[in-house]
Amino acid sequence: MYRKILWTFIGLVVILAFVLTSCAPPATPSVVETQAPQAPEETQPPAPAGEEITLRWRTRPDNQAEIDVYQDASDAIDAKLEGVTLVYEPGGSETSSYQDVLKTEIGAGTAPDVFWIPGTDVADFASRGLILNMYEMGKSTAGFTIEDFYPGPMFHLAYNPETAQSGADSGTLWGLPRDVSTFVLYLNMDLVNEAGAPDPRELAKEGKWTWDAFLDVAQKVRALGSDVYGYGANAWWGPYGVWLNAAGGGFFTADRTACALDTPESLQGLEFQRSLYVDYDVAVPYGEDSEPPFMAGRVGMFQNGRWATPGARANAKFTWDVVELPTGPKGMGNWLFWGAYVVNAKTAHPEEAWKLVQELTTAETQGMISALGTNIPSRVSQEALDAFLTFTPPDNNQAFLNGLAQNPTAEGPVWAGSWPEFDAIMGPAITAVLTGDRSVEDFAASICDEANKTFNR
Amino acid sequence: MSVQPGSPDKRPIPLTLLAIWHSVLTLGLIFGTWRYTQVQETGINMLTGVVIALVLLLAVASAIAVVFILRREHRGRVISLVVDYLGFLVCILGALHVLGAFVGIDSLADTFGRGIIFLLGAFSGYLISTLGDRYENHPARQRFFQRSGKIISIIFLLIFFVAIINFSALPSMLGRLVQPLPLALLVGALIFGLATWAMWAKATAQAMAAKNNHEELLSGWLFLSPNLLGFLLFFAGPLLFSLYVSFTDWDAFGTKNWVGLQNYAKIINLDVVTLQEPKQRASEVLDVTIYDELTRFSFFGKHILIGAEDKLFWLALRNTFLFSLMAVPLSVIPALFLANLLNSKLPGMKFFRAVYFLPSIAAVVGVALIWQWLYNAAVGFINYFITSSVGLINGVLGMALLDPQVRWLSDTRTALLAVVIMASWQWVGLNTVLFLAGLQNIPAELFEAATVDGAGRWGKFWHITIPMLAPTTFFVVTTAIISALQLFEQVYVLIPTEPPGGPNNSTLSVVLYLYQKGFQRFDQGYASAVAWVLFIVIFSVTLIQYRRQRAGSGAYAA
Repeated sequence: MYRKILWTFIGLVVILAFVLTSCAPPATPSVVETQAPQAPEETQPPAPAGEEITLRWRTRPDNQAEIDVYQDASDAIDAKLEGVTLVYEPGGSETSSYQDVLKTEIGAGTAPDVFWIPGTDVADFASRGLILNMYEMGKSTAGFTIEDFYPGPMFHLAYNPETAQSGADSGTLWGLPRDVSTFVLYLNMDLVNEAGAPDPRELAKEGKWTWDAFLDVAQKVRALGSDVYGYGANAWWGPYGVWLNAAGGGFFTADRTACALDTPESLQGLEFQRSLYVDYDVAVPYGEDSEPPFMAGRVGMFQNGRWATPGARANAKFTWDVVELPTGPKGMGNWLFWGAYVVNAKTAHPEEAWKLVQELTTAETQGMISALGTNIPSRVSQEALDAFLTFTPPDNNQAFLNGLAQNPTAEGPVWAGSWPEFDAIMGPAITAVLTGDRSVEDFAASICDEANKTFNR
Repeated sequence: MSVQPGSPDKRPIPLTLLAIWHSVLTLGLIFGTWRYTQVQETGINMLTGVVIALVLLLAVASAIAVVFILRREHRGRVISLVVDYLGFLVCILGALHVLGAFVGIDSLADTFGRGIIFLLGAFSGYLISTLGDRYENHPARQRFFQRSGKIISIIFLLIFFVAIINFSALPSMLGRLVQPLPLALLVGALIFGLATWAMWAKATAQAMAAKNNHEELLSGWLFLSPNLLGFLLFFAGPLLFSLYVSFTDWDAFGTKNWVGLQNYAKIINLDVVTLQEPKQRASEVLDVTIYDELTRFSFFGKHILIGAEDKLFWLALRNTFLFSLMAVPLSVIPALFLANLLNSKLPGMKFFRAVYFLPSIAAVVGVALIWQWLYNAAVGFINYFITSSVGLINGVLGMALLDPQVRWLSDTRTALLAVVIMASWQWVGLNTVLFLAGLQNIPAELFEAATVDGAGRWGKFWHITIPMLAPTTFFVVTTAIISALQLFEQVYVLIPTEPPGGPNNSTLSVVLYLYQKGFQRFDQGYASAVAWVLFIVIFSVTLIQYRRQRAGSGAYAA
C-alpha cells in the first residue's frame, strides 16, 4: 500500500513536471544591462501596461559570432520597443536546410512572426500567401520610403504579381532587405607574387582588369604546381551566373518569364567559364568545394561574397585581400545578393512585426551587423558605406562597393514560374558543361526547351 | 467461468446511468456533426470527411452500446469501454494540444539542465544500493545498503522532478485552462474517464456477465493500446494521408485539389521514338513541351531515343539501382569474411568487433562531412595518399606512372562510387555483427563432423557456413537492399553541389528527389506519389527475394 502511494506520488510529480514545463509561455531573453539607444522620432507610443506581447524572429546565421551579434541587436531593439518582448531564434545555416525547416514550421503553424528568406524565395512565399503584404502599414508609417534601400532588391520586394508593376505605389511590400552583398575575388597575394603575376588590385585601378588579364593571372598561378590553382568557385548558380551576366546574357529574359540561357551572350559567358575548367585547366575542378584549398593556400583567386570574410579572417594563414570581378564584354556582371525580413502571414501582431522589420533594417542595426564583416548594409547611405570601408581586413573593401556601383544584377524571384524547379534544370546542365561532359552547343540545343517548362504555361 | 465476486461493499454503478450517458453521447456526436456541416461555408474536404465518418462511427458504436448495456450483454461493456477510452484520450490530448504542451515540449531541454545534478544524486543512490552485493554473508548490512540506496535514489529523483518543474507557468496555465475550449476538453476527459472507470469496475463486470477470458482480452487490448494507437496515429495515419496527398496537387500550405492519377502518370510517362540518325536533335522527334530527352542508344541498327515527362525521376531511379547494385555486395560480402575472421578465438577479437561496428553507430552527417574532406580533389587525404604513392613508386622503381588526380565528388564517373564507398564502409559493421550472430548459432558438431570427414577450411566454409547462414544472409541482404534503395543522407551531405545530387544529377537518388520536390519545390502531392512508387519498387524487390529464399530453402531441405 505504502509503495503504491509512493509511486503514484512520483508519477504525479513527473506528469506535473512535464505538463507545467511544456505548457509554459516561451522564455524571454535576458535583458542586456546596457543603456537603451535613443528612440527614433517615429516610434509609436508605448503600449498600455498589461499588453506586453512576444514576437519571435529568425535569421540565418553562418556561425556563433553572427548569432551573438544578432542576439545583441535583438536585445537592443527589445529595449527600444515598448510592450514587445523579442525572442531571437538563430535558424540553422544554409547547410542545415534553413529554408526547409522554415517551410515545415510554416506548414505546422509554428513559424516565427518575422523571419529572413533569400531573395529568390520571395515569389514562392508571397504567391502562396505565407508572408504578409505590408504595403498599407508602410504607407501609413511616417518617414518610411522604399527609396532608402537599394533599388534592385526593392524592385522585387515591391513587385505586384497581379499588375506586373513594381514601385512605391505598386500596392505590395513583401519585406525589407536585411543586407546586400556582391561577389569579389579573394586573393592569395603570396601565390600571386610568387607566380610573378601582376597585382589584380593594381590592374583594377588602372581599368585593365579584364577577362584576359584574369586568365593571365590564373594561368601564372596555376603554373606553380599541379596542386596549385589559379581560380576557384563553388558549385551553385551565383558563381557561374556572373560570367553569363558579364557577357551580356543571363538566366532569364528581361521580363523574367522565360529562359535566356541559350542566347549568344549567355553562351559566350558560359564558354569562357568552361575554358577556365576544361581548356586552360586553371580552376579547382568544378563541383569541388573550393574554400578548403583556398584556406590551405592552394588557390590564387577564390570567388565568393562578403559572407566569406569572417572565415578568411579566422583561417587564412597567408597575405590576402580582395579585388572586384574582372570585366567581360558587357561589364563586370556582378550579382547583388540580398535576403529580406518578411512577416509571417499568420502572425497575431502584424503592426508590431512591421515595427520590428523596420528596426531590424535601421542604419544603426545594420551597422552592428556589418561591423562583424559579414555583409553590406542594404540602405543607400554614404555614411553606412563609409563605415563599411573601415571594417578591415580586407584592406580593399572598396572592391565590394565597386561591385555595387557597376549596375549589378539583383538576385530575384521568378513570379512567372518556379525558381527551385528552374535551378534544378539549370544547375546540372551547366555542371555538365563545366566538367567537360557536355559541349556548349549541346547545352544550347535543349536547355531552354527543358527550363521553360518550369514557367507557368 | 465467471469473474470471482467482488467484495460485498462494492456495488455496480447503475448501468442505466451508463446507458443514458451513451445515449446522450450518441445524440451529442450526431448533433455536433450536423451543426458543423451546417456552418461550413467552404465545403468539406476529404480529410474532414474522414474525421466526420470516424465521429459518426463512434456515435453508432455508442448507440449499439446502449442496446447491449440495457440487455446486460458483455459486448455492450466492450464497446462502451472502447468508446469512452478513446474519448478520454482524445480529450486529454486535445487539451494538451490547446495548451501548447506539444509545441512547448522543447522547454524541457532548458529546465532539464537544472536538475541534472540531482540525477547524479539518484545515480549515487543506485551505486550505494549495489554496494550491498558485496555483503552477501552479512544480510543485515546488505539490507542496509540496499534500502538506504533506494531511499536516496527516490529522494533525489523527487528533488530532480521538483527542480525541473516550471512553477512560474502555473498561473499562466491555469489562466488558459479556464478558457472555454480547454475547459470543455477537461470536463470531457473527466466524464469519459469516469465512464471508463465505472465500466471497468469489477462490480460492473459482474453485472455485465463478464468472464475471465473477457477480462484477459480487455486487459490485453489495454496494454496493447499505447502501441496500437501510436501505430495508427503516427504511422498508418501519415501513410494513408500521404497516399491521399499523392492524388492531389497539394503544396503543403494551400488547398488540396484532387488530380486523380495525374502525378503517377507524369512520373511514369515515357515516349520511345526512332531516330533517323544517331545525333538527330530531340526537339525534332519529341514533343519538347512535355518530354525531355532521357537517353538514346542503338539497338540492332536502329537508333532509339527515350523521352520522359519527368526525366529527373528516372535518373534518380537509375542512380538508386546502380548504388544498390554496388553498395549491397560491397557491404555484405566483406562483412561475411570479417565475421568469420572475428568469430575466431584469437585474443583481442572483442576489441576489433567494437572497432568494426563503430562506423555503424556514428552519425551519418558527421561521417559524410569527414569523407567530404577526405575526397576533396585539391587538398583531400585520399588524393594526397595516391599522389604520394605514385611519386614513391616512380622514384623507387624509376617508372613514369601518371597521378590520376581523381575528382571524387565532382566527376560524374566517380561521384556515385564515392557515395558507395562511404556507405558500404558505414554499413559493413552492422552486417558483420549480424553475420557473427548467425555464425554463433551454427552447431559446432557440424564442423567437427566435417573435420573428421577430412573437410578443409574452404570446404567447411562453402558447404556448412554458407548454407547454414542462409536465413541470416537473407535478412542482411534484404535490409541492405532496402537501406540502399532509401539512399538520402549520404548524398545530401557528402556532395557539395547546389542543388544536391550532382554533378549533373549523377548522385540524385529517389528519396533525395522526393525530398526536394516536397520540401524545397512546394510539391507535396507529387513527392508523395514518388514515395509510393518507391514503396512499390522496394516491396517488389523484397517480395522477389522472399520468394527466391523460400524456393531456395525448400530445395535445400529436400
